Amino acid sequence: MLFFRSEEHIDRWCMSWRMERGAVLSLETGWRLARAWYGEDRRDPEWRRRTVDETEELFASLGLSSDFWRLR
Amino acid sequence: MDPESAFEKQVRAQVYDLTMRDGVPPLAARVADALQVTPREVLGAFASLGERRMLVVQADSGEVLMANPFSAVPTPFLVTTNGLKTYGNCIWDALGIAAMLHRDADIDTSCGDCGAAMQVRVRGDRAEGKGLMHFAIPARLWWKDIVFN
Repeated sequence: MLFFRSEEHIDRWCMSWRMERGAVLSLETGWRLARAWYGEDRRDPEWRRRTVDETEELFASLGLSSDFWRLR
Repeated sequence: MDPESAFEKQVRAQVYDLTMRDGVPPLAARVADALQVTPREVLGAFASLGERRMLVVQADSGEVLMANPFSAVPTPFLVTTNGLKTYGNCIWDALGIAAMLHRDADIDTSCGDCGAAMQVRVRGDRAEGKGLMHFAIPARLWWKDIVFN
């Protein structure tokens, strides 16, 4: 996941890599996603990865519910 | 897949403890020293944790490449926090380092297209800066090529 100055720079990068445009997040939403994803303490032996359902719920709670964010 | 073993949990906890202190994932020898086991045993646990997608392991050496959000190698996502300099694997992970450490942080990066310098500042519960995050690969495919992603 890269950071870009603007939508135009994203489009140029996609063209040069011959890739379709993916999902674009504002810094604010990206920060909320980072806090939700990485806020837990992975030093805790009982920490575990989220299940597919839990991950999709987390994405949806941040408004990320398009096909791009589906896991199956 | 079997549940994570007690030893794997110990290794994972030790990897994150050292990474969060030092800013870089440790080598197997350092984890082995801390846990009083052999490096070979630790490398075995790294491989299992890699299969569980709890770590990303280097193909040739078996050492940790990513203890997400931290990178073992320099990347374009430098995070400075409380005097510690560390690298995120991507912009999401750079923000994730601040989130995991629960600390203010300065992220120095560059535009993925033109290379212009860009900064993000995390202060308290806010991330300040100008720019957009682009996720190129759909979520269900992230682990097909986690290094590219």
